[in-house]
Amino acid sequence: MSGHHIIPMKTLISTSLALVVLTIVTVAVFYLPIPAPFDVVVALLLASFKATLVGMFFMGLYYDEKFNTVVLMFSFLFFIVFIGITLLDTLFRDSGISVW
Amino acid sequence: MAEAHSLENPRLQHHFRNADQQFSSSKLGMWLFLFTEIMFFGGLFVAYIVYRAWNPELFTMAASQLDTVLGAVNTVVLIGSSLTIALAIRAAQTDKQKQIVNYLLMTILLAGVFLVIKYFEYMHKFDLGIFPGAFYTFEGIDHPKANVFFSIYYMMTGLHGLHVVIGIGLMIWLVVRAKMGDYSSKWYTPVEMTGLYWHLVDIIWIFLFPLMYLIE
Amino acid sequence: MSAATTNGKTLKVRYFDIEENPTEHYLNAESGLKSWLFTVDHKRIGLMYLASIAFFFFVGGVLALVLRTELFTPAENLMTAETYNRIFTVHGAVMVFLFIIPSIPAALGNFLLPMMLGAKDVAFPRLNLASFWIYSIGALFTLVSLGVNPVDTGWTFYTPYSVQTGSAVILMTIGVFIMGFSSILTGMNFIVTIHKMRAPGMTWGRMPLFLWAMYATSIIQVLATPVLAITLALLIMERTLGIGIFDPALGGDPVLYQHFFWFYSHPAVYIMIVPAFGVISELIATFSRKTIFGYWAIAMSSLAIAFIGSLVWGHHMFVSGQSELSTVIFSFLTFFVGIPTGIKIFNWLATMHKGSIDMKTPMLYACIFLFLFTIGGVTGIMLGAISVNVQLHDTYYVVAHFHYVMMGGTVMAFLGGLHYWWPKMTGKMYSEFWGRISAIIIFIGFNLTFLPQFIMGSQGMPRRYYSYIEQFQTMHQLSTIGSYILGVGFVIIAVYLAHSLMKGQKAPANPWGARTLDWMTSSPPAQHNFNYQPVCNNGAYDFHKPIADFTLGIAEDEHAHEQKGDTIKQQEQNV
Repeated sequence: MSGHHIIPMKTLISTSLALVVLTIVTVAVFYLPIPAPFDVVVALLLASFKATLVGMFFMGLYYDEKFNTVVLMFSFLFFIVFIGITLLDTLFRDSGISVW
Repeated sequence: MAEAHSLENPRLQHHFRNADQQFSSSKLGMWLFLFTEIMFFGGLFVAYIVYRAWNPELFTMAASQLDTVLGAVNTVVLIGSSLTIALAIRAAQTDKQKQIVNYLLMTILLAGVFLVIKYFEYMHKFDLGIFPGAFYTFEGIDHPKANVFFSIYYMMTGLHGLHVVIGIGLMIWLVVRAKMGDYSSKWYTPVEMTGLYWHLVDIIWIFLFPLMYLIE
Repeated sequence: MSAATTNGKTLKVRYFDIEENPTEHYLNAESGLKSWLFTVDHKRIGLMYLASIAFFFFVGGVLALVLRTELFTPAENLMTAETYNRIFTVHGAVMVFLFIIPSIPAALGNFLLPMMLGAKDVAFPRLNLASFWIYSIGALFTLVSLGVNPVDTGWTFYTPYSVQTGSAVILMTIGVFIMGFSSILTGMNFIVTIHKMRAPGMTWGRMPLFLWAMYATSIIQVLATPVLAITLALLIMERTLGIGIFDPALGGDPVLYQHFFWFYSHPAVYIMIVPAFGVISELIATFSRKTIFGYWAIAMSSLAIAFIGSLVWGHHMFVSGQSELSTVIFSFLTFFVGIPTGIKIFNWLATMHKGSIDMKTPMLYACIFLFLFTIGGVTGIMLGAISVNVQLHDTYYVVAHFHYVMMGGTVMAFLGGLHYWWPKMTGKMYSEFWGRISAIIIFIGFNLTFLPQFIMGSQGMPRRYYSYIEQFQTMHQLSTIGSYILGVGFVIIAVYLAHSLMKGQKAPANPWGARTLDWMTSSPPAQHNFNYQPVCNNGAYDFHKPIADFTLGIAEDEHAHEQKGDTIKQQEQNV
């Protein structure tokens, strides 16, 4: 059963090292003069990459039944639906866009 | 016949056909639980994003009150604890009873460090009068909605902190059980499930850190 | 011993006879109060849920009759406006959170889901019990809040009023918050059970459509309920700490609260109705004696409803001040829900077409469902159109619409399901005569109650008022009389079901000639459903095969997984 996969020591250590390095990069990027919307984008991309590493190697999704990954993906999908559609209201409420 | 099962593997509950079915069921159940956790925190992230989109200048001003160094240290602390709990699972899989306990204790220690740092951060803010909600009295941020930012900050970090506390509770229980020799390569489901939970707590902090502390 | 072909693979199976009227079954396997309160048996947990929701349906129903009595004349008959506000709030909250959300999933679902899969129990029996207790604790909080200071905000707890009112909002919302976890745990349990606990041969394509509906419902429960939890947690924080996220007085945004609330509560509407679709699929196939028409269309439309239903919450907020852009998009998306729902209705009608329809009580309810739910659904589509919505918003038209869906849809399907599975649950038959009589009384009473409300609403009668102008008096009186008739119908049901429990005839294992696995056990079932590992050889709606051929296989060895584990595993992987 793939769920019982013993994750190699080397993988665990290098994953955590990568995470520490990425944390340092995240802080370093904060001090770089990146223009307004892109600083958030870069920070979130780095965070997502870190989360992916944790998910794949610490949580074992890389070795696990694929359906568990599907469950995780769906949670992000529905979060994006939630925030995306809510923003359609909050961002455009005072914009004066009159659709009719 | 159910007894026959239990003689073969005391951990196999009678309604499962075999241990694999039981283990993969638990794991799917845990992932669904993590799904609900993501949606639970998701609500707060939505509030965060909506208010940030409305008041970008407020978030830049308010984030300056948060200590980037402490936030970064805490990130690294949680990454370390994620590693140690992964090692605890590995120890269980390879039947190293003593290591399970040691790695779990290290995880608890790191979680404790995280909470202590968080405590000092909170105390520093309380000294300034940055209380949650209607009790907010700080005047250093010139913005009418400064209280809302810190409400969101306290709700998000508070809920996250609550999850850390729950995680510590779970791990103490794991240590007790591990000392009794309950976990081995044959059966270590609770360790694995607590590990998944703990990694999620880590992931949420990985997102909270840049969103709260690193706003320019 | 004979060989049955499943899924292209040959599996050796033994056939067995179902024991009629067994002396030992789940009801008498253990006795005493403790054996009920601490049981991990999904069937007993299902029955405990059934008793609880019956109680809360009674409470909510009595409150509804009190409201209708107040509305008999425009004058102040029984209560002040203040009391009226509290009573309609409690009626709504009890019916939504305590009755209708757990009704089909937790009561019928718990009882049937493992049996239909050919499993001994749900994947996490103890969690299942915990979920019942969490529900009870939540219900307790709600009841305490009624004793302290009944909430008068409406069941939606809209800010800022819910922050300002002196009524016990915190107790009530803690109750709902706790019950949310019960709903989440049940949903998780069901998803895992459906994924992992299917008997050998029970492929996805052989699952009864009730299970597909439960699967879709569980997904919604798991995905949306946590958002309700965080919403209510923030509301409680708003009241205690004044966090200012939702309260405009502190810089918050009340419309954001509505987004949060409806992100859960609109999908929650599908938590209420999708299980009803599942029940109806079973009833119509069984009593039409025909293979269900469009199996995959019905199965997938449940999932489609779950998905599309998560995108349309803003149609509750057309006049709340959300941006015009999102209003248009929400309205547009709302119409899409009609597609999968329509697919279901047409497939059911196609199943009935040229079937040998047997108008037993459950089928009568199924037909009532088709009639009433279609009215409820189509008026819902009308309300999804912005121009109509602005006109009809917060009128009795909306009240009538959701009662046609919730009561005409879910409650009718629930009653149909209750009558259908009653022999299985209790081992007793009920009076068919009184069953039909009460179904007809309920149908008449229901329409008399709610049809006038459509008319009143379209003429401008606003909802949530304890008084009205004289113009509406005739309609209100018709509606009130209808509600009394409805009440009589439910009393008759209670009487003959109680009679059936005590003096009813013994039920055969499969009184309706149904083909799903839950009927391949004794009535009432054995403690562990099947005293062996069943193997599913037939589809859930193989009505073209004679019932005599229709028997479960049994894995050659009860420990089939030990010796023949590979065979079974291969099969599961094929599906």
